[in-house]
Amino acid sequence: MTMQPDATAGRLEPWRLAVGGLSQEQIVAALTVVLLLGFSLGLPGFATTANLLDLLRSISKLGILGLGMGLIVISRGIDLSEVAMMAGSWCVALTAIPRGLPPFWAAVLALTICVAIGLFNGVMVAFIEAPALFVTLATAYVIYGAAFWFASAFVAYAPLDAPELVFAGRGMLLGIPMPILVFAAAASVMHAFLSWTSIGRFIYAQGDNPEAARLTGVALRPLTILEYVLVAALAWLAGLVWIGETGSMQMAIVQGSTIFDVILVVVLGGISLVGGRGGVFSVVAGCALIGTLLNAFTIMNVNSEVQNIIRGVVLLVAIILDNLLHPRDEETARQGD
Amino acid sequence: MLRESSLTGFIRALSVTALVGAPMVALAQEETGTKTAHELRADYDKNLKGKTIAFLPIATGVPLMDEWGSVIKTEAEWRGMNFVIRDPNNNPAAMQQALTALVDEKPDVIVVQNPSVTLLQKELKRAEAQGTHVIQMNMSSNYKSDAFVGADWFEVGRMLAEDVVKACGTGSGTSGKVQIVQGELTAAASVDQIAGVMDALNKDKAIKVVSNQAAQWDANNALNITATVIQQHPDLCASIGFWGIMQSGAAQAIRNAGKIDQVKVYASGEGSQLDCDQVNQGNFYKFLSYTAGEQGRDAFLAAEALLENDAKPGSSHREYYTRPIWLDKSNANAANCYPVPKPPTPTAAADATPKK
Repeated sequence: MTMQPDATAGRLEPWRLAVGGLSQEQIVAALTVVLLLGFSLGLPGFATTANLLDLLRSISKLGILGLGMGLIVISRGIDLSEVAMMAGSWCVALTAIPRGLPPFWAAVLALTICVAIGLFNGVMVAFIEAPALFVTLATAYVIYGAAFWFASAFVAYAPLDAPELVFAGRGMLLGIPMPILVFAAAASVMHAFLSWTSIGRFIYAQGDNPEAARLTGVALRPLTILEYVLVAALAWLAGLVWIGETGSMQMAIVQGSTIFDVILVVVLGGISLVGGRGGVFSVVAGCALIGTLLNAFTIMNVNSEVQNIIRGVVLLVAIILDNLLHPRDEETARQGD
Repeated sequence: MLRESSLTGFIRALSVTALVGAPMVALAQEETGTKTAHELRADYDKNLKGKTIAFLPIATGVPLMDEWGSVIKTEAEWRGMNFVIRDPNNNPAAMQQALTALVDEKPDVIVVQNPSVTLLQKELKRAEAQGTHVIQMNMSSNYKSDAFVGADWFEVGRMLAEDVVKACGTGSGTSGKVQIVQGELTAAASVDQIAGVMDALNKDKAIKVVSNQAAQWDANNALNITATVIQQHPDLCASIGFWGIMQSGAAQAIRNAGKIDQVKVYASGEGSQLDCDQVNQGNFYKFLSYTAGEQGRDAFLAAEALLENDAKPGSSHREYYTRPIWLDKSNANAANCYPVPKPPTPTAAADATPKK
């Protein structure tokens, strides 16, 4: 990203000139590298291959969810039902397996449920023009209640005799845990989609200035529906890894802080909530920072209350940094940078 | 010929009447039952029939609370009592509102589970002042009401840790490293259990607690924490978790690392079929169940006693502690584990009529 001449150009501080050339994701990545070096030197047991692989593995599910959330935030939307879709669809699927549904069809059932909810979200936002925040919030509540009704299970366990189903979460390929490979594959596909396809460019256009995009002929409504369906599909993928790795799916996570952790890594990595900015690297950088902190805290046995405080502080710092790097004035606030 | 005296004749007539009449009287009694049995039951019904018992857990949909609700409902309805349940869905504000509304309806007994020691204490005091018996369940508030029913968390923690000391302490030939996965650092159940655990673990110098983290009752958090711990300490001896459903995540992490045969995974919990499945699959080494079904029955027993005693609410305090039982592969069967119940449907306010 290059520096834009603006009303404040005459009185830019030297440090702003220095770091202003860097995007937020680059700053976050640099910060992560600094932390990694620091922890490697100061914390015994941190700088081993096994621990670093474990670090990457622990952020993979969050990363897959973050890819979906990042996509929708780039388009100036938001999807608060992402975790609910993941938990609800897989809970229903896992409780259907003991009743006789083969694991493959259970996975298809989960995907169908996710895509159906994604379609609903997309239609509500695109055609009914309801605000995405409220639509997806309401959808999350509906999923929570409906899943309990159909699945009647507070926690659903993965089947013991379906190795293909749990391979994405539990398997290893070339010595690397599968969750990392699934995340890497999803990230590569998403990056190619956003950077090299015209639909990807349209998504950025929509996020940057929806009115201008519409006037230049971008079909916004089908695009919006596609975006919400893609988020839903990524939620399904994250769930597939989740049930393999954790061995169960708990409905309670819908009411927990998981969805805010997903938004945290997205905003932290530089995908601004006003849209049109950032990319896959932002999500990866945000996940890497959070993963490094959490891994180090667990090794240091820092209690979870302190971990929460630090996560909150890191998010505040990211938002302030975003504001300082990209000062908003009358022009940029409306049309993007 | 000897002539019978009138007295003998009278006695003879009487005995004949008795001999002939007794079966007939007995026959008559068999048709309507013994008087004493009727009197006992009438006395019982007088105290219980038509009375209302209200149940306010922290949330429904959790196997623990659902089993309590299911047991109390069955016991209450058999005695012709009304059963009322409210579901605040983990929301403290909703729980306060629900309790206020319940107290205003003036039920005879309220069974309540406290999310913290202070949230509900004022309302509970008001309930007893106006004549409603209050039974606090599983976690108490600072106000001591008529009865408390639950597990002794300190004892549960201590029992878990004492078994760990036997398995991993001095002379066991292991590293002595122990991981603790708490629920929430501020929940009373967690705070008391950890106190009991540390009390027992501190008695053996060979035990080292390498990790003591809270996973917020979430299996995925437990998985992530344990994956790091087992990676840092491959010679881990035992893992203690404060809830079976959460600890299954920790067990999965240890299984993923290939160490499930080396690390002894302990958990405490309500003893539903889910927990027993984990034991039978080899994920849990031993499980300490506080038998939610028994707790439900204890709660109803406490309610029965209070209603039959008919003393003024708040005039006495009774405690009913549940005996925790160890479950391992030898006894984790249907006799000791209850099937996961369906969440009960909340009843409408004030007009729940008795079933019979």
